[in-house]
Amino acid sequence: MQRWEAGPTAYAGPTSPVRPGRTELGALSATAAPASLWLDVLDATIRTCQEHGRTDLVAWLWQRRAQLLHPHLRVLVVGAAGQGKSQLINALINAPVCVVGEGRGTTVPTVVRHTEAPTAHLIVRASPEAAWTPDAGPQEHIPLALDRLADALTETVAIQPATMAGRLHADVGVPRALLATGLQLIDTPPLPGLPTAAPAAVARLRELATDSRADLVLFACEAGRELSDAEVTVLADLARLFPSLVVAYTKTDYAAHWRRGLEASRMRLVQAGVPATVVPLSATLRARAVQTGDAALNGESGFPALIGLLEATVAAKPDGLARATVGVLGRTVTERLAVVLRDDLDAQRAESETSHAVKRLHDTQRRLDELRRCTTRWQTRLSDEVADLMSDIEHDLRERTRAVIARADETFTDSDPLRVWDEFEQWLREALLEVAQTSLNWLGDRAEWLARAVAAEFPPELGDVLPTWVPGVQNDPNDRVTELESPQVERFTMTQKLFTGLRGSYGGVLMVGLVTSLTGMSLINPISLSGGALFGGKSIREEGKSLLRRRQAAARATVRQHVDEIFVGLAKDTKDSVRRIQRALRDHFTAVTEDLQEAIIESLRSAKADAEREAAVREGQARRTEQELIRLAGLQKQALALMPGPG
Amino acid sequence: MTGAALAERAGRLLDDAASVFRGHERAEAWLRRHRERLAEPLRLAVTGPPGAGRSTVVSALIGEDVAPVVVAGAPGAPVWFHDGPRPLARVIRPAAPPWSAPMQRATPGHVVAGPAEDWAGDEDWAGAEISQVVVEWPCRALRHTRLLDAGSLETDDADATLYVTRHLGDDDLATLQRAHLGRATGALPVHLMVVLSRADEAAGGRPDALLAARRIARRRRKEPQVAALCQDVLALSAQTALAGRSLREPEFATVAALAALPRADADAALLSTDRFTGADLPVPVQQRADLLRRLGLGGVRLATTLVRTGSRNRAALAAQLVRQSGLTELQASVGDLFTARRDVLKARTALIGLDQLLRAESRPQAAYLAAELDRLVAGAHEFREVRLLAALRTGRVTLPAELAVQARRLAGGEGAAHAERLGLPAETPPEQLWPVAAEAAGRWHEQTRAASTAAGRRAAEVVLRSCTAILNDLG
Repeated sequence: MQRWEAGPTAYAGPTSPVRPGRTELGALSATAAPASLWLDVLDATIRTCQEHGRTDLVAWLWQRRAQLLHPHLRVLVVGAAGQGKSQLINALINAPVCVVGEGRGTTVPTVVRHTEAPTAHLIVRASPEAAWTPDAGPQEHIPLALDRLADALTETVAIQPATMAGRLHADVGVPRALLATGLQLIDTPPLPGLPTAAPAAVARLRELATDSRADLVLFACEAGRELSDAEVTVLADLARLFPSLVVAYTKTDYAAHWRRGLEASRMRLVQAGVPATVVPLSATLRARAVQTGDAALNGESGFPALIGLLEATVAAKPDGLARATVGVLGRTVTERLAVVLRDDLDAQRAESETSHAVKRLHDTQRRLDELRRCTTRWQTRLSDEVADLMSDIEHDLRERTRAVIARADETFTDSDPLRVWDEFEQWLREALLEVAQTSLNWLGDRAEWLARAVAAEFPPELGDVLPTWVPGVQNDPNDRVTELESPQVERFTMTQKLFTGLRGSYGGVLMVGLVTSLTGMSLINPISLSGGALFGGKSIREEGKSLLRRRQAAARATVRQHVDEIFVGLAKDTKDSVRRIQRALRDHFTAVTEDLQEAIIESLRSAKADAEREAAVREGQARRTEQELIRLAGLQKQALALMPGPG
Repeated sequence: MTGAALAERAGRLLDDAASVFRGHERAEAWLRRHRERLAEPLRLAVTGPPGAGRSTVVSALIGEDVAPVVVAGAPGAPVWFHDGPRPLARVIRPAAPPWSAPMQRATPGHVVAGPAEDWAGDEDWAGAEISQVVVEWPCRALRHTRLLDAGSLETDDADATLYVTRHLGDDDLATLQRAHLGRATGALPVHLMVVLSRADEAAGGRPDALLAARRIARRRRKEPQVAALCQDVLALSAQTALAGRSLREPEFATVAALAALPRADADAALLSTDRFTGADLPVPVQQRADLLRRLGLGGVRLATTLVRTGSRNRAALAAQLVRQSGLTELQASVGDLFTARRDVLKARTALIGLDQLLRAESRPQAAYLAAELDRLVAGAHEFREVRLLAALRTGRVTLPAELAVQARRLAGGEGAAHAERLGLPAETPPEQLWPVAAEAAGRWHEQTRAASTAAGRRAAEVVLRSCTAILNDLG
């Protein structure tokens, strides 16, 4: 969390003379503002940076602040290779202080300043980032021979270890009236990549400008060409750090149509929106003019204009330049801070779509819908399965009992119920009991499977919803499988046998007696008696057979009826059991569903609350960010008001 | 083995490669092109950053104000300059027939009229379609060397390169470093020369600017990091050179008139371009402006000084301007290190090309080619000889005068034949060559230990190798 969010929004505007409550514009238009107004705005900017936790900017602004309060004007002379930067400085102060010519070029930055007696040192700074000013901590001074300064400098730099390259600069003091006003000139090595590529040069120049504590940048471009795209880019970047830039259009003595290039360069700068003054210069003419004391030539060299510009800037430093600088700095810094804030705001907006609470809310709603669908599903499944089970069970039971009946029929086709009944009854009981037991066991299995099938309709993330107990078959099959009484069958008693025998023998005696009587024998004779006995025996056998068949039929009918009764009973029991199971499962799953629904609804409620709370927090953050942006805009407006208006 | 033998072996290798890559359309076309190029004149590219004066250098080398040749609507296309019967430009576009057009004079250089009727209505015509422009120009200098005016160094079309720059800064060195190709001795920068252009602007354009520029070039060419990247560094004022090569009578008359002025008046007028064109002088303003455009302020200063010091007619002034501009030195260097070494450079281009092809395309038989290529490159002593010649030229290696002459001759600086290398008449029979070569080998063997500097000892080793190569050939 950023620091400015921590407490109530602190006022970061100028503390004096602008008071909160008055509009910034009203305050700034007050002409009585003292010269230190820019200091207030700068301090406010620094404070804002501090609140935003930008220690890098704070350090940099403090450094610029110290620089602005310093009476010296440090002019950084930069540009591509061979643009006459060193020539320019030498011609400006009329002393060969910078290395020129013979393709040697400047290898280390050289600070040229005013001293009573000429001095020259190569300075080894404690670190590459250390400031170049004398008050920036320990430095090693290596004196250079004044009479052959260029050679001495080249030689001394050459013997320094290569690792020191970033920590070297030369410091040259010469007694010059121009410099005595506080002007310091800094010659630099060529910027890399120019005039074709900008990025390396931009980075290098930012470093240079910070390390050298420059107040003004003089960008050298030789006549005979115009500013390249890369150079305009570099200047545009500089314009974000410095209020005014000076482009030295050098070597105008040598180029034939330099005025065309000058105009083109000015036009390019205007198009790029870079506030730079382009000054045509000729170091050669200036040197010559100084040698010969030719004022007209000096005028042609363009240097008087540059000197005038520099002197005016030195004089204006405590007020004009400082104000403009603070204006530019304020604008750049607030822009930079605003970029961060705007990114923040965008990030927050993007986050509101994807925050945790909102995701949870959506998730819970989805789960609730899912549960509703699931409820319908399991109910349908349960009723379907139960219907299936019922028909299955009944069919199974019927099949089994039918098998028992078939077996019984078979038994009574072959054997006499009278003789085998007890044995048969025993078997029948056991067979029916087994049928009942098997069916019931199967029902139990099916019931368990049914419970699983219905439970499977619930989404797996709900975990185990199986009932711990499924109601089994409570009725004992023994109750249903009753004993079977022997059917009422006609027994073939001795008396019946006697009568039947007699009845049969009567006919036989009569028939044979009549035939034998013809032979003169009496009706009752041994032959007719034996015939009677034959007939009687036959009648008894036939009567016995028909009785047996009747008994068998009766037994079959009895068994069938008995088994049917038991089947009906068992069927009813199983149906009852299935219904009980259905009821139990329905109750169980309804309870489960209700529990789940309750939990989900509860979590939905809390998710909703969370999402709302979060939205409120975000809203508050966004509002604070927006307020901060507005505050920055106010600060920027104050800073811009410091800058001189157009024209 | 001479440069010609090297080129021949490179050619044979290309033929082998052609049979390996038979049926591979792109590779075949590519190999055929390289094979043809082996027999063509040397291809010399003139490149460098914009504004360095590339085109002026090309014009100065041709001797007429030809470059830059710009196709209207398509600036920046690479332009080849070939020898031809009459001035003509052929615009070459990919996937389209070349298009010939006459050239119109412009200031400076020439303009080729853009697409007229046959391209009319072609909306896409934006110049990006032009792959290159071939300019035919009747010129003796182009007979043995074709010139390429191109902004980019990354061209595999050239055998040798003149890198034109103003200051040779770190950026330029990085560019040169990136442009390195080839392996083993093939990676030696035998094809690169740096031209420090616009030398007349050195030292603020004083009359001794060209001398100062030459001093700078002399110092730079000996710097180890520069020497490792190129054969030679030369200062050239292309504008002065071009003016010298095409100096006209009226221009000489103007210079003479300026030189005839009292010294103080002339000096005051020559202080700046403004003064020169604006001063009240007996020479008409228009003539002065024309002269300034042709010569530049430095050139005018130089020319008046030259006329005053004895160049009394057009021819003498022209010759002096060419000499002073550094063109003579450049031509000598190009002749010595590039044109005379045409075979070596051609072979080098072919070998690098083949190396790239073998790396990009893999074929089973290509392994044999790669081995053969490695063998050829590793054994190519010619590249080292050329480096030695450059080192002797530029003074990177200092040997006693007599030895230096001999080293140059033995390394093939006077001609690649054995007799020429040994400094004997061309018709000398081999049995007479042998003892001379053996004696030279002995002497240089001694030098490999006796030479006073490490560079000298290394140079002696290269010369010794050349001697033993001659002995091998003879024996």
